[in-house]
Amino acid sequence: MNPHLNRTLGLVTLVALLAIALPWLGNDYYTGFFFELVTWIALAESWIIISGMTGYVSLGHVVFIGLGAYVAALTWMEIPLWTIIPLTGLSAGALAAVIGYPCLRVRGPYFVILTFGVSELVKFIIVNIESALSQAGRTLFAAPDINDLYFIGLGLAWASVMIALLVRDSRFGAGLRAIRENEEAAETIGVSVSWFKLAAFVLSAIIPGMVGSLLILRSTYFDPLQIFNPQTSVLIVTMAVIGGSDRPFGPLLGVALLVVLQELLWANLPQLYMIIVGVLLIGVVIWMPGGVYGRLQRAFAAKPTAARPT
Amino acid sequence: MSTQLLIAALVQGSLYALIALGLNLIYGTMRLLNVAHGEFVMIGAYIAYWGITLLGLSPIIAIFLAIPFTVALGAAFYFGIFKRAMRSREFVERIEANSLLVFFGASIIIQNVTALLFTPDQRAYHYLEQIVHIGPAQTPISKLVALAIAGAVCIGAVAFFRLSTLGIAIKALIQQREASALVGIPVARIDMICFCLGFAVAGLAGVLVSMTEQISPYMGFPFTVIAFVVVILGGLGNMLGSLFGGLLLGVLETFGVALTAPSYRSIMIYAVFIAVLLLRPQGLFGTKRART
Repeated sequence: MNPHLNRTLGLVTLVALLAIALPWLGNDYYTGFFFELVTWIALAESWIIISGMTGYVSLGHVVFIGLGAYVAALTWMEIPLWTIIPLTGLSAGALAAVIGYPCLRVRGPYFVILTFGVSELVKFIIVNIESALSQAGRTLFAAPDINDLYFIGLGLAWASVMIALLVRDSRFGAGLRAIRENEEAAETIGVSVSWFKLAAFVLSAIIPGMVGSLLILRSTYFDPLQIFNPQTSVLIVTMAVIGGSDRPFGPLLGVALLVVLQELLWANLPQLYMIIVGVLLIGVVIWMPGGVYGRLQRAFAAKPTAARPT
Repeated sequence: MSTQLLIAALVQGSLYALIALGLNLIYGTMRLLNVAHGEFVMIGAYIAYWGITLLGLSPIIAIFLAIPFTVALGAAFYFGIFKRAMRSREFVERIEANSLLVFFGASIIIQNVTALLFTPDQRAYHYLEQIVHIGPAQTPISKLVALAIAGAVCIGAVAFFRLSTLGIAIKALIQQREASALVGIPVARIDMICFCLGFAVAGLAGVLVSMTEQISPYMGFPFTVIAFVVVILGGLGNMLGSLFGGLLLGVLETFGVALTAPSYRSIMIYAVFIAVLLLRPQGLFGTKRART
């Protein structure tokens, strides 16, 4: 590990430790807002492990959230919370391994559409299972209060940023980026391409699974159509892409921007919020490849040369 | 019973074929993944709805309003965004992923603008609802009209790609982009024409869809998915393949639902979709070379 990485990891941990104090600063409303923020951070940072680093854009990450939520809804009150959370992560990871193995052989646009299709397929299967059990939604009683959920969410957000930083700096991360640039070349120089992709996919699914259990304990009501809403996948992609999916800190900017916007608009003008999301997505892809973070980085890097008279 | 299902399957299948044709045209020529395709179908449907409710226009006439409207919107997209973006190296290097994100943005915008303007409610209108009997089967006339128009356009499209110079040029462009430019096919102009044609077909299909089912601002996305299933069945860039694919999916869906239950419809469509992508990503009729 290089000293620079150690410093960054330390800084992230310090910020996360300071963020533990947030619930005492305001009321439940603010804590609810910070809960949104940390869960989206956890989702976007997990997403970039597969999609930012390998270029395999997953448009179906909501499937892991949904499965996590379903497992949590089934096991809530049966087993203690501290076993539910890891269990949801494990089940999401297992699902990723099962669907990743065939899906990751398919490339480019096919993979994108496939992940979307798989997430919808799983959604409708669960809808049918639930209606076969004649369950019209499940209510979760005696859910933990918002502070506890926030602390777990903060832990997941911290873990997701740490994982993104560590992966990016490792041989594993270098292999993933080699896959993105040229898969055949990566294979030739000895990257075991299919294992790397599968490992990245599984790694990027575990935390979203756990986030799913938190979301369902927050809303206290499980409805497969709602928790598997493909809009969530779109929002994850948008947040990561707006911020810049190539750098671990990029998605943080996108998440912050959209969560604040969501807080301002969702209650009264949900359509306007989605319209702005669409405009931002188009704008960034066309005019700011690399996202806001990439642009900022380039602006700062370019300054010394720009200042020099030519 | 089976004639009844056959007619339903043909109506559904011809609409799917039509919608997929437009998607395939844009992908085939420019490698743009238009995930907003269903939204243009929705726009066509709304034009037909407002035409008949406000002005008393027959949906047949609304076709001639819907097509210019979606074409104008498509042209605005082409000149506003893609013409410039196609010149940037960064965009073209990952054109499929980038176009997917851009169209996703467009799709979100169109859905929500429509929901803001016209409320998210479901709507429907009455048009030619008299029942006719065909042998043992019975069906509303409106569905037969939709089938006739969709079928005529599909057959017209086949003739167009076989016989007209423009159609053959488009096919050449799909197969060999660089080589087409070398033999003097005006690539940029044909790109623009295909882009607009794709949206025109979507608008037309939207009018026909509104004759057979309810409409809402969010009706488009399922059609996008179906169009992708059909196009992948027939092979990306393969026009004739997408016509067969559409009919096949219409038959699979209608008979599948009749044999099981309507709640399995989505599972069936997605299962076909995933199976084809995994087993034959080059399409049922495609060759291995078409896979990229």
